Amino acid sequence: MNAATTLARGFAIDYGREAEEEISRLSAAIAETPAVISIFPARWLAIKLLESDQDIQTRLRMLQGGAALLAEAAESSARLEAIYGDDADVLIADRRYGWINGLVREVVHRPATNRLTASDQIDRIVTHRLLGIPIFLFAMWAVFKLTADASAPYLDWVEYVISGPITSWVVAILEALNLAGTWVESLLVDGVIAGVGGVLVFVPVLMFLYLALAVLEDSGYMARAAFVMDRLMHALGLHGKSFLPMLVGFGCTVPAFYATRTLENEKDRILTGLLVPFMSCGARLPVYVLFAAIFFASNAGSVVFAMYLLGIATAIVLGITLKNTVFKGKEQSTFVMELPPYRLPTLRGIWFHMWERTSSFVRKAWTIILATSIVLWILMAIPVGGAGSFADTDVDNSVFATVSQAIAPVFAPLGFGSWEATSALMTGFVAKEVVISTMGQVYGVQEVEEAGEATTFFEDIGEMITSFIAATIDTIKSIPLIVGIDLAEGEVEEEPTALMGAIQASFNETSGGYGALAGLAFMVFVLIYTPCMVAVAAERHELGMKWTWVSILGQLVLAWLMAFVVFQGGKLLGLG
Amino acid sequence: MLHQVLRMVETAQGPVTLNELSRKLMVEPAVLESMIQFWVRKGRLVDEDAAAETSCTTGSCGGSCTGAASCAFVAKMPRSYSIKLEKPKN
Repeated sequence: MNAATTLARGFAIDYGREAEEEISRLSAAIAETPAVISIFPARWLAIKLLESDQDIQTRLRMLQGGAALLAEAAESSARLEAIYGDDADVLIADRRYGWINGLVREVVHRPATNRLTASDQIDRIVTHRLLGIPIFLFAMWAVFKLTADASAPYLDWVEYVISGPITSWVVAILEALNLAGTWVESLLVDGVIAGVGGVLVFVPVLMFLYLALAVLEDSGYMARAAFVMDRLMHALGLHGKSFLPMLVGFGCTVPAFYATRTLENEKDRILTGLLVPFMSCGARLPVYVLFAAIFFASNAGSVVFAMYLLGIATAIVLGITLKNTVFKGKEQSTFVMELPPYRLPTLRGIWFHMWERTSSFVRKAWTIILATSIVLWILMAIPVGGAGSFADTDVDNSVFATVSQAIAPVFAPLGFGSWEATSALMTGFVAKEVVISTMGQVYGVQEVEEAGEATTFFEDIGEMITSFIAATIDTIKSIPLIVGIDLAEGEVEEEPTALMGAIQASFNETSGGYGALAGLAFMVFVLIYTPCMVAVAAERHELGMKWTWVSILGQLVLAWLMAFVVFQGGKLLGLG
Repeated sequence: MLHQVLRMVETAQGPVTLNELSRKLMVEPAVLESMIQFWVRKGRLVDEDAAAETSCTTGSCGGSCTGAASCAFVAKMPRSYSIKLEKPKN
């Protein structure tokens, strides 16, 4: 009897000969129980009992004769289980779905043109076994190219605002309070503004990154990216679901560690947790952008993209190695993924995602980074060996510099054996953004002010608005650069900032003239070495102390080795 | 029908999309999703979204955390279901 005929004759699904026999047996028993039959239809109740419906069982226990019916239903379920090798409720559900599917096939007729939706058509290309990965890599390259190129004018604008008007307003206020030239001015200008301001400069970079990622997510492409990369992971013998936590790591490593809980197998979970830190988090982006702008100005976007690619490649190679050695185990399970349909991202949705993530970054600046900047300033203000007094000592003679100088020789073979670079890596353990803020403080550079008339508050505001408009125009001109069309051709290049100049000079000195190679080695070290202390705490929470120490030490050693290969190998090849 | 769905997921070579599974089984996607939810309730499949709901208790981003669903840094991932692994017998 087909589904349509069943409907015409009255609704009753055939559950198969053995199940129908048990249903009939139970129905007869129910019919002989007055307290029950007066409330529930016999066949309906019989089926519910075979489905082990909790609510019905509870209600039946309170009725006279209900316990006996429950016992009989348990016997019926056991008989069916012995025949079919599965629970009775599975059998019932299986028959129902078979009936439903049959009915749908009979009554729903889809025109041939509708069988493949627009999303399906696009997915045939985007999730193609051969094209999927190159498309994903191209999408990520475009994201980082846009981020690096389009944000640069705004980055310069924020830097001008912080080191220009804001610094001069702070100094003017301190002068009015007779605090100019004191340790208070040093704390605020050299500590807070240099430290926190040095990180806030990169807000435009992160805004553009989050804008691009929001477009990819809201359009539905990111789901396809996860699917494609998971398939690659599976093909390489790694757990297919490993990439999902890793993709989370691109924003922040901390939730990425917690996302490893989705992996049931403990070996897979620990292995994925060990690989998550190599997915470069958003906090490391300012380091890449700064160093790429200093040493690889004409290819900054591509260099930043290469860092992310290197992180993924390192995770994959390490994953395969560990999977075949320490974490050898049974084949991982497959899984089903529900890909959402493609849709046009909404401006509101994009703005929401961009704002939420950027404001989290700014909140971090006003909490962790502010505290670290103040602590750093104090450590740089304490003299060692009687050279100067508190807040009146050469930074090279401070407690902070002394500790960093003791560790700096470790990094000499990598081309950046200066105490400034070492100190930035040390403070990077607090938060990766602090690497930049520390450099802003330890290099202690101030922009050279051009001689001219002092400006009023409103003149400063006017200049800020004018320069913002100019930055917006430059950003619009930079977008065609992604495809190689230079609308700014012929315009004068911006001068590098004093900080960029100081870093370049320092790295050139410590590397013996191979500044670009040393800069690249530094970026690689930042990519690979231990994540921030909060991420380490999350790692300990999820993986345990033993594996956390393995991860910390392993990352430090691997970071050193990879940076060594980049620097020394590059020198041997005559690069940089 | 239900066991066919489970078998398809178990024997797939790598991750498979709901649409792909629907086409192979010649089942409407809505019906297929309902069958998958049945196996999730039976404990034979794991709903990854439910398993992943966690919170960064340390509030590392400087704000208060109310869970992965509202974390600004967690990218919206597609809903996925996996086979629940049998615990190895000692």
